[in-house]
Amino acid sequence: MSTTEAALENLRIIRSLMEKAHIYRAVSAPAALTGGILALGASIWPVSHALAKNTEAVMSETSFLTLWLVILGIASALNVLLLAKEAASRRQPFVSEGMRMALRAFAPPMLVGGCVGIGLIVFLHNLTLAALIWTLCYGLALLSTASFSPRSLPRLGWAFVITGLLLFFAWAANRDVDLLSSDLAPASLAMGLTFGLLHVIYALAVFLTKRPAEVQPK
Amino acid sequence: MIDFDQIDKLIHEKGRLSIMTLLSTRGEWAFQDLKTELSMSDGNLISHLRTLGTAGYLKENRDESGTRPRTSYELTTAGRKAFKDYVEVLGEIVKAAQQT
Repeated sequence: MSTTEAALENLRIIRSLMEKAHIYRAVSAPAALTGGILALGASIWPVSHALAKNTEAVMSETSFLTLWLVILGIASALNVLLLAKEAASRRQPFVSEGMRMALRAFAPPMLVGGCVGIGLIVFLHNLTLAALIWTLCYGLALLSTASFSPRSLPRLGWAFVITGLLLFFAWAANRDVDLLSSDLAPASLAMGLTFGLLHVIYALAVFLTKRPAEVQPK
Repeated sequence: MIDFDQIDKLIHEKGRLSIMTLLSTRGEWAFQDLKTELSMSDGNLISHLRTLGTAGYLKENRDESGTRPRTSYELTTAGRKAFKDYVEVLGEIVKAAQQT
C-alpha cells in the first residue's frame, strides 16, 4: 500500500469512527410515527367535536391527562424496544455511552416540562398552557442533544420550539379562548399539531432520506 | 514537499489510530465501551493503551467507588496535539497526491 493509499485509508477510518461515536438517534423514526399517529387520533376527536359547535367537552381534564400519558407510555416503550433492537443488531450494549449522553441531556427539560404541565392541569385547570409547556420543553430536550444527534433531531426540536412559541402567542393574544367552557379543544389542537403532525413529518423525512446502509445495518 | 518522517509512527497503526480517534471525540471512554466499539480483544486493547499511555498521549482514570472498579481513558493535551498533527499530515499527503 502506498503512502497516499495508507493516508486515505486512515482518514476513512477516522471519519467512520468519529461518525459512529458522535451520532446517537434518541428518537427512533417508527416510534415517532406511531406516537404521531396516536397523537393525531387523540386530538382530532375533541377538536372536531368543538368545531361542530358542541359546548360540552368530550372528556374531563383528568381523562385528557391520562390519555396523553398513555400515548407517551406507548411511544416511549416502542422507542426503547426499537433502540434495544438496533443496539443488538450493531452488537453494542443497549445502555451505551451515547444513550447515557442522550439521557443526561434529555432528562432536565423533560422533567421540568412534565411536572409543570401536570401541575397546570391538576391545580390550575389550564390544559392549553400545559400542552404548550410540554411542546416547548420537548423541543428544548431535542435541541439539547444537538451535539451528538443526526441533524434531523435538532431540526425536529426547532420545529417544536417555533410551533410552540407561535401557538403560545396565538393563544395569549386571542382572548376569545376565555369564552370557551373548556379549553380541551385548543389544547388538543396544540398537541395534534406538534406531537402528532411534527412527529409524522419527522418520521417520513427520516424514512425518505435513509441510506441503504442504515436501513439494513450489518 | 512533505516530509514523511513527520508521520507519527505511534499513531500510524490501525488499532492505536482507532483508539486515538474515539478518545478525541469526547472526554472519557470506559475500557468496556472502547472494547465494544473497536471489537478488540482485552489483551490487544490493553497493549495499545499501554503504548499510548507510555508515550504520554492518554491517561488512565480508575474509579473504585462502585461495586466494580471502572477504568476509563482520556487524551492528554500532548495526545490531542499529536492526533491533530497526525490528521493534518494525512491531509497534506492526500492533497499532494491530488496535485501530482
